[in-house]
Amino acid sequence: MSDAANNKYDIIVVGAGPAGSMAAMAAAEAGRRVCLLERKSKAGAPVRCGEGVGFKGLTLSVEPRPEWIKSTLTRARMVSPSGINVEIKNGAEGWILDRERMDAGLAAMAAEKGAELIPNTPVTSAEKLPDGTYRCVSAETGDAREFTAPCLILADGVESRLARGFGWNTALKPGDIESGAFARVKSKDIEPDCCVFYTGSKAAPGGYVWIFPRGEGEANVGLGVIGSRCRPGLPKELLLSFIAGRFPNAEVTDLHCGGIPVARWTRPLVKEGVMLAGDAARQVNAINGAGIAYSLYAGKAAGAAAAKSIRPNGTCDHRTLTEYHRTWAKNYGKQLDRSYALKEFIMSANDAFLDRIAESLSKEDPAKISYLRVFMRAFASKPLLLLKAFKLFK
Amino acid sequence: MTVVDQKKCDECGTCIGVCPQDAIILGKALRISSEKCTSCGICVRICPFAALSTDGGKSK
Ligand SMILES: Cc1cc2nc3c(=O)[nH]c(=O)nc-3n(C[C@H](O)[C@H](O)[C@H](O)COP(=O)(O)OP(=O)(O)OC[C@H]3O[C@@H](n4cnc5c(N)ncnc54)[C@H](O)[C@@H]3O)c2cc1C
Ligand code: SF4
Ligand code: SF4
Repeated sequence: MSDAANNKYDIIVVGAGPAGSMAAMAAAEAGRRVCLLERKSKAGAPVRCGEGVGFKGLTLSVEPRPEWIKSTLTRARMVSPSGINVEIKNGAEGWILDRERMDAGLAAMAAEKGAELIPNTPVTSAEKLPDGTYRCVSAETGDAREFTAPCLILADGVESRLARGFGWNTALKPGDIESGAFARVKSKDIEPDCCVFYTGSKAAPGGYVWIFPRGEGEANVGLGVIGSRCRPGLPKELLLSFIAGRFPNAEVTDLHCGGIPVARWTRPLVKEGVMLAGDAARQVNAINGAGIAYSLYAGKAAGAAAAKSIRPNGTCDHRTLTEYHRTWAKNYGKQLDRSYALKEFIMSANDAFLDRIAESLSKEDPAKISYLRVFMRAFASKPLLLLKAFKLFK
Repeated sequence: MTVVDQKKCDECGTCIGVCPQDAIILGKALRISSEKCTSCGICVRICPFAALSTDGGKSK
């Protein structure tokens, strides 16, 4: 390793997504020397997300800036495989975000608090050194750069590659990941305050199609296909044919793809001086694939514990880091475990079953079916839908 | 072994998330280690943009 600079920190954070930026912000705010390493030249671009989030989940961790919010959702509609509509209308509960602005904004906020944001830095390897500290190396350009610290936060998203070097097996089974594709669509047909979901094995095997309106006649349109039922390129094919059918002649831009972990969250979240946060720890709602609120929350909790763990002599008290695992398990652990159990159940259901649920729900008062309940919390706490589901299943 | 078509690859990292051998790495571009790859094909099936293909292990 030629003349790599010997960069020493209290805490290294890998990945400037919502989880990593929140972690870096929390740790820097507490006065720690923090670096935030990001592969891309700019946090947040390109967007790989539907950009939908519930009010509560977002504001629990961060006060959103006005420019992060594209639109407010007041209604939702689920369309069953055979075309039965379930309307859900109970007031505003969620936003469509501008993630390019939000992610860049969060990284900038971390930097304002004193974290050193270092873009264009793909971490290619991470390891524990004999003195108990951790070293991250970015060796892509020939001039390898090194960063060392007694505490390491891995927030490298769906890849979660670096955790493997520390004994975590983060490789997802095909049944635990959604293979996704999405695009921005401009059309007069877009309803400005309504998100629409389509289910069924034709539209998206083991997943769903979503339409999230982001204002000015534009929407994020995307879908996920469960890995176990995927074949090369299927998400892209299904998306383009859905858009062609639903929004003929529309302007389609920003076609991208992405993977959504729908696994159980990783246990433990902490090993010695290393922590996992966000998609890297599979902290995602397995029913609907929502991860923004969870990664913000987890990142902030991990960063706070990391800051607390650094002793006056510059070493890390590993026991203090486990506070992060406990905080997470207590506040979100059970909820996401329930979502995972329900995902496994839904995956075993067929289209006829989804149609039966839709049929019974379509008779309900739209104001009484909670959008939040059905999607953002995914049947987790007040299982109206789950109850019906099990009744219908018998 | 498995190879990537850089023109089709969107650099989303989905394939890395499923590779059981930790054979794929995304730095400046996506790279697959011919030493580690067992041609299991899991990543090929998951790629949303069909950017990966495998010769079924012939070259290994
Ligand atoms: C198609 C799609 C639609 C989605 N829609 C929604 C939605 O509507 N609502 C919702 O709540 N969630 C949604 N999600 C999930 C949500 O996007 C994620 O849960 C969230 O972005 C996770 O944040 P994170 O910080 O953990 O990871 P990420 O946002 O993925 O950030 C990880 C960062 O780490 C960087 N990185 C990775 N490896 C390295 C490395 N080795 N070195 C340096 N940097 C590295 C990456 O470049 C990236 O910037 C969606 C996901 C997808 C793919
Ligand atoms: S899953 Fe496909 S598009 Fe995504 S990084 Fe891998 S090869 Fe590229
Ligand atoms: S074929 Fe299997 S081992 Fe090879 S890169 Fe893909 S997932 Fe990894």
